Amino acid sequence: MTQFLEDAPIRVRPEIPALFAREWSRLGAAGSYWSGHQRIELAATAREARAGAEPKNPSLPPAATAAASLLGATPARANRSWVESTIADLGSGPYVEIVGVVSRSAAIDTFHRAIGLPLPLWPGPVAGDPNGIGDPAARSGPAWVPMVGGASIVGALSAVPSEAAAQEDMHGPLYLTYEQMQDLEFVRGLSRRQMELVAARTSAINECFY
Amino acid sequence: MLRASSETADVALDPRAITDPSIDPLVEGGSHLIRFVDAVLGDGSVEASRASLEGALGSDAVVDAAATIANFEMMNRIAEGTGMPVGMGSLKRTEEWRSLIGLDRYRHR
Repeated sequence: MTQFLEDAPIRVRPEIPALFAREWSRLGAAGSYWSGHQRIELAATAREARAGAEPKNPSLPPAATAAASLLGATPARANRSWVESTIADLGSGPYVEIVGVVSRSAAIDTFHRAIGLPLPLWPGPVAGDPNGIGDPAARSGPAWVPMVGGASIVGALSAVPSEAAAQEDMHGPLYLTYEQMQDLEFVRGLSRRQMELVAARTSAINECFY
Repeated sequence: MLRASSETADVALDPRAITDPSIDPLVEGGSHLIRFVDAVLGDGSVEASRASLEGALGSDAVVDAAATIANFEMMNRIAEGTGMPVGMGSLKRTEEWRSLIGLDRYRHR
């Protein structure tokens, strides 16, 4: 198993390497719609796209490769017609799983770059088939993908419960738990104002309105 | 959330720094934080900006800044990839700030 952040030049609170190990285990195992091998290839395609490289040996469906590339490198270029076209090719569940896999691997790569470490090696794939589990309660609404219980950022991936759970698992150690977000005076290494400044600048560079 | 946390702290903050890094955000260590974000997500020297931030705010601040950038790299992709709408209440509350810093140009198409 990959040992995360052992060579970090500064002390990193232990919940972060523990989180990254959990995410790498998730990444290498079959999800709801993609095998472990495919999930790793989706994340690798996104990483290559961020580096300006073409996907190597793509065995994924072309629409999946295109989605991983765009969401990995230039997510602000996503628009309703592109998402609808991708979902028409892949299905909404498989597309939602790509959003989750690519977004979390981007977070882990970014943390390594920020802290001054090389990007982590991919996990080995675990054999097994996707379990096909989506949430049958997910419904179309104002967002571009079906969700459970109306459109909200915490429920953005709720059509695929394992992806929504993974999103929440990342959110707490990297930023704040959903409960801690209500505390506007929360202080850790940064004050809440400082954290929100970092978040806002990150979102501005990514041209993310949300 | 930046606007809300600033109101809670009851301290002046210049939101124009979000889109114009030449402006001092009036947050402790704010210029160091902005330079760190820009370096991590762009082509600047991450090592130099990280050292500068650590000197200003300490190593725990560097970890939190790196983790926050990472989290929003994730959340931005989720929001963009799912076409997450912003609620009418949030749009109303943030109208003045959005206008001030030109955020509406990033709205979903």
